[in-house]
Parts: sequence; C-alpha cells; structure tokens
Amino acid sequence: MQSSLFSTYGYARRLLIKIITKGESHASTEVTHKNPRAELYYDIVELFTGLTLVGFLWTHMIFVSTILLGTEVYDILAAGLDDYYLSYIGIPFIIIVAIMHVLSAGRRIPTRYQEQKVIWRHAKMLKGTDTWVWIFQVITGVSILALGAIHVFVVLAQWPIDAAISTERMTAFWWFYLVLLLLGEYHAGFGIYRQFVKWGWFPRRPLGFVCKVITTIILGLGFAASGYLMHWEVPYEQLSDYNH
Amino acid sequence: MSRQLTFSIFRYNPNDPSSAPRMQEYTLNESTGMTIFVALNQIREEQDPSLNFDFVCRAAICGSCAMVINGRPRLACKTLTKDFKDTITLMPLPVFKLVGDLAVDTGTWFRHMSLKTESWIHTNKKFDPIAQEDRMDNEVALNIYESERCIECGCCIAGCATANIREEFLGAAGINRVGRFMVDPRDERSDMEYFEVIGSDEGAFGCMGLMACDDNCPMGLPLQLQLAFVRRKITMAGLKS
Repeated sequence: MQSSLFSTYGYARRLLIKIITKGESHASTEVTHKNPRAELYYDIVELFTGLTLVGFLWTHMIFVSTILLGTEVYDILAAGLDDYYLSYIGIPFIIIVAIMHVLSAGRRIPTRYQEQKVIWRHAKMLKGTDTWVWIFQVITGVSILALGAIHVFVVLAQWPIDAAISTERMTAFWWFYLVLLLLGEYHAGFGIYRQFVKWGWFPRRPLGFVCKVITTIILGLGFAASGYLMHWEVPYEQLSDYNH
Repeated sequence: MSRQLTFSIFRYNPNDPSSAPRMQEYTLNESTGMTIFVALNQIREEQDPSLNFDFVCRAAICGSCAMVINGRPRLACKTLTKDFKDTITLMPLPVFKLVGDLAVDTGTWFRHMSLKTESWIHTNKKFDPIAQEDRMDNEVALNIYESERCIECGCCIAGCATANIREEFLGAAGINRVGRFMVDPRDERSDMEYFEVIGSDEGAFGCMGLMACDDNCPMGLPLQLQLAFVRRKITMAGLKS
C-alpha cells in the first residue's frame, strides 16, 4: 500500500516538475500515442541490422575473392551455396535486414530543408571528423540503397552465379562495381566504427584504426578479385547466350 | 616584434531593434601567453566598451566564457592566441539564447536540464544531521567525481549537431549528468525511473554518436565512454521492464 502511494506521489512529483519546466523553458509535458520504448527499439534494430550487414558485406567480399584461388574454387563455392539452399535463405534474409536498416538508421536523416541547412552549416563550421563521417554515411547509405538494389536485381536475373557470368558482368560494368565496392565498404567500415563508439567500451582512436585496417584489407581483396575476373579469358563453351 | 592579430567578432544586440547581426573587426598586438579572454578584455578596454562577453573566473572553472573560436566551441580563458593564424573569428555559442554579441544564457538551459534529469539524490532515507556520514568506496567516489567535473560551459551542446537541430535534446551534459547519478549508490532510483528520465529521443537515444562533445569538452571529460555507458544501462533497463 505504502509503496503504491509512494509511486503515485513519485509520478505526480515528476509530472509537476515537467509542468514547472514548461513554464521556464522550451520543453513541455505532453500526452502522446508514441510507445515510450520506440526509440530504444529503433536504436537496437539499427545496431543489430547494421552489424549483420557488415558481417554479410565482409563475408561477401571474402567469398568473391575466392576467385583468386582459381575459377574452379569460385564455381564450387557458388554452386555449394546454391545446392544447400544457403543463397535462397540468405538473400531474402539480407534484403529484409537491409530494409529494416534503412528504416531504423534512415530515421536520422535530416529531411527538412531547415535541418539540412543547419547540418551543412554546422559541419562546415565545426570541421569535426566524426560529424563529416556521419554526413558521408548518409550520402553513401542512400547511394547504396539505389546501387545495391540494381546489383541484386542483375545478379538474380542471371542466376546462378559462376565465374564466367561474373567475368562478363565485371568487364561490362566494372565502373559500377568499383563505385559500389567503395561506397559499400566505406559505409560498412565507418558504420561498425560508429556503432562501437555509440555502444562500446573502447576509445575511438584505436577503434577507428582497426576499422580502417579491416576495410583496407577487404577493399584490397575486392580490387584483386575484380582485376582477376576482368583479365580472365572465359572459355568459349562457358560464354552465355548473350555473348555468342 | 609581436604579431598583429585581427579579431572578427559577431556583433548583435537582440534588445535593440536598430541592431543588425554583423561581423566587426578589431586589430591588436599579440602579447606573450595571450588568451582569447585577455584579448577580448583589451579590446573592450581600449577600443570598444560596448562589446559584450561573459567571464568570471579566468581559470576554466566557471564555464562562462565559452564561445565559438574559429569554428570550434572553446573556453576563451583556456585558449591561447598563439595556436591560431593571424585572423581569429569569434561567434557566440549556438543553441543557447543570445544575450548580446558573444554572451549567451547557458543558465536557463542547464537549469532546465537539471530539472528534467532530476539532478538530485533520490532517497527515502531521512537525513540525520548528527549521524556520521556513510562511507563511500574511493573508486565509486572518483567515478562520481569524474562526471561531476562538468563545468556546464555548454561547449558539448553547441558542438552537437542533434542539439542544433532539436532543441529538446539534453546532449552530452544531460546524459553525463544522469550517468553521474547512476553510479551513485545513494541514489535509490530504479532502472525504470532512469529510463523515464532519459530513455527517449531527448536523451540517450537522441545521440547520433557524432562525438563533437567528446572532441570539444574543455575539461576533457570521457564523454564517448560515458554516453555509451548510459546507453547500455538505459537499454538494459528498457528491455528488462
């Protein structure tokens, strides 16, 4: 009884304080339909979808770079993922995770003109590294949404994956993949850095260093794999109908 | 031969209808160990008595003289002119109410923050003035003291992109304040009570992690780690209950 009385009193006291603050500054007390935990859930979804996508992107580049071990290894891996239905589970899963990531992380994008003006002016004035990193996260994120959708569509349209088809794609659209690789790995590298900064136990500078090293390695693998694919002479019998 | 410095200073008196915001330039000779604070006083004494700016302690304790110096929020008394090129631009802190020229009212903002975060020990214990004080672990005391070092200058708020967009955001100063009470064993608030205070966009989840607070805190508070600590605690509180 006493504890419930106390908590009612506590609530009233808190309410009172909010009403007082309304009088003397800009905040106000209001009744909303919003779930009080909404922001918590958004932030957790942003964190876990982000980590999943970074894990996916890095694994993706390691898989692509198996081409460096020879086209046979690449083809066996691609066929293996296909045979065991891993692609059929993995691809829809990643698409759903990516959409959830766009919705949760994208809520931070300043969409109003006034906010845009404030952000740009503020970033130029402050010259804060992490503020600029975030601005580029937004720009790369929006670009990846568009380019990534094209990439997924093209790959699925020419399913399944093998070295010959990949080579055709790389030769014809190397500039597209170069842009997507740079944007994707930039976004993943700084994305994981930013999540660790927001949630983690480690200071920023060593964290940033580790993320940059990993991103450089992954980019190196990506460049090497792309170069290999572009210089590989596809045997005639493996050429797709499109090129015959 | 000392360097000649040019100060480009924001001038505007919001209480004077005929005043328009503008930048005004002043030149003066640099002296040894000159701080922005010393320079401003010299300008006011020798060139322009109408120049408005705040200061009290001159020793980075009171937090009154925070302003935007060449784009970054800093304390005028702690910033040496020798660290800059010949031209130094001074602007008032954004977010806070402008009093005039470089003077802003941080007091109202910080009072609101203190009330909003309920910055006092919540306890059911009756205070007994005769009894001996409860002992506290040295480590706990140091932990509390680390966040208590905040001088409420407002540099973290002025540098924060989120606080610049959304005025209800409590910023690093507010989140750090809640963290201070979280580690204090005398405060009997439950996790859920803390969640109510700061488990929203106005508090822990409003932070986008741009770390301008951590970069620009004149007291060198470990704001990155403190913000992450509060975010984890608040998340666990929100998930548990």
